[in-house]
Amino acid sequence: MKNRIRLTTEDRFVDAVVYITLALVFFLSLYPFYLAVVLSFNEGLDAQSGGIYFWPRKPSLENYSQLFSDTEWITAIFVSIARTVTGTAVTVLFTVLVAYGLSRRDLIGRKVYFNIIIFAMYFSGGIIPYYAILKQLHLLNNFLVYIVPGMLNIFYMLVSISFIQALPSELEDAARVDGAGDLRTLLHVVLPLSMPLLATIAIFTSVGHWNSWYDSAFFVTSKDKSYLHTLAYKLIEVVRRANIVTANAGADTATKIKATALSKQLAAMVVAVFPILAVYPFFQKYIVSGITLGAVKG
Amino acid sequence: METTRDSLWKQIWKQRWFHVFVLAGVLFLFIFNYLPMAGIIIAFKNYRLSGGVMGMFTSEWVGLKHFRDFFRDPMFGKLMVNTLALSLTKMVFLFPLPILLAIVFSETNSVKIKKTVQTVSYLPYFISWVIVAGFCTIFLSTSSGVINDFFKMTRGHPLNLLTGEQYFLPIAVITALWKETGWWTIIFLAAITSIDPGLYDAAKIDGASRLQRIRHITLTGMRPTITVVLILALGNLLGGGLSGSNFEQSYLLGNSANANTSQIIQVYVLQQGLAQGRYSYAAAAGIFQSLISIIMIFGSNFAAKKISGEGLF
Repeated sequence: MKNRIRLTTEDRFVDAVVYITLALVFFLSLYPFYLAVVLSFNEGLDAQSGGIYFWPRKPSLENYSQLFSDTEWITAIFVSIARTVTGTAVTVLFTVLVAYGLSRRDLIGRKVYFNIIIFAMYFSGGIIPYYAILKQLHLLNNFLVYIVPGMLNIFYMLVSISFIQALPSELEDAARVDGAGDLRTLLHVVLPLSMPLLATIAIFTSVGHWNSWYDSAFFVTSKDKSYLHTLAYKLIEVVRRANIVTANAGADTATKIKATALSKQLAAMVVAVFPILAVYPFFQKYIVSGITLGAVKG
Repeated sequence: METTRDSLWKQIWKQRWFHVFVLAGVLFLFIFNYLPMAGIIIAFKNYRLSGGVMGMFTSEWVGLKHFRDFFRDPMFGKLMVNTLALSLTKMVFLFPLPILLAIVFSETNSVKIKKTVQTVSYLPYFISWVIVAGFCTIFLSTSSGVINDFFKMTRGHPLNLLTGEQYFLPIAVITALWKETGWWTIIFLAAITSIDPGLYDAAKIDGASRLQRIRHITLTGMRPTITVVLILALGNLLGGGLSGSNFEQSYLLGNSANANTSQIIQVYVLQQGLAQGRYSYAAAAGIFQSLISIIMIFGSNFAAKKISGEGLF
């Protein structure tokens, strides 16, 4: 096919621009991750002198062994895992339950319910009153602050409603004829059929939980609760401290300590990115379908 | 009358589980969305956190005092300039790039290469800003950073990228580009995919060159999507436009050395409110930013309607 059409100079020019751009995008998207991994497997002090681009100069597992022998970091990793697992389960369950309720087309007061929800999606009271409410509910400095305020995701709920409504109603009707109540129908018909939906929401929610630092930074501030900080938050601490050190000192006086702290942080960053990179090949096919799911409005 | 009311209750009773689920959701929204919304009245009061939730409604009124204080705050001018500079610069650079990249993808002959590169391009979207800031700390470091190795070679000396106030804006733009371009390309590429392929064939027969086809078919076909995304982005201009990352960037890439350019209203609200305990003052500053945002949304929608005849509402 292609050979039959004569390529003009313009065609060649466009092709060149296209493939150069693609190569650049490919390289720029991946290289920072690659370099972080390479540096994390290099001796901390040696990496300090720069010049490492594609392969470790002094290969070493020291950064990781230091990271994994530091109880503070280990605790942070466990907190992150705990919030991701619990938070995702709770959010998916609650969001889908509310969506199931609203998916019933003849629900009395459905319009009112919808308006209440849509309004809440577009307007918020800002961080300060929100903070006061978290305090009143004793959620500050509490592990539950990671879980409870994010239980309901309105966007995913709207997506779920249109998904549930698009399920074949014959199956639900059949279950009802067989004498199943609403809860049994939900449990044995609707939820099993909604597996692709649940998977999509779970993936996006868990990535959000794993990456989240805001709540850990501002809602867990008491010193004696610092063991509740997440991995993402611990990384900020180090980033901000490192920036301040360079801002104030300029010269590298405390090189020895700084080098190991920074290279340990690099290892922690790789640990923080790893789960996302590991599941990415599997979940990237849900991404585009997730966006199109969202486009089908309920 | 009596019988219809009875049957209404009966109907509701029949749907009871559905109502239970929905009401649980409504209760949740009441606590975490509607109570804070009502709580913005503290911007017009003298609120202390010790007053709890009830205190938001019972504390004394002070009218517009906190707004006046905010406008007279010596930081006000700088915060406004920084917030607008960050928002507008990001908008100018961030908005066109996903459109161009979507066109590049659509002009790729090999489906395999296109899919691979596209998949890789939106990977950074799923990485936390904390990690991006961490990458910056490492790669931009004056002593060992890759980027500064380049400057050492070309200029003979490293640049203080992390602490120099003139570098905050470019770094914010570049990191946002890196993180978000691939993601927004998905939406524009979907718009291109929905263009009728017959149009391209017809244009080819009429002798339209490739660039002409890109301009007159691809770009024209994307116009409705571009308008919608532009309105959404302008509505969130002060939050960071498409990426909505102004807060993260200012908080994570900002430090005492580059505060002159990196400090924005959102971060100031948090500092004044949560760190300094000036809750009412911070709430007033927050309301001020929301007001600008609302004007932006309606303004951009109005402008879009005038110019292209399409709007969101």
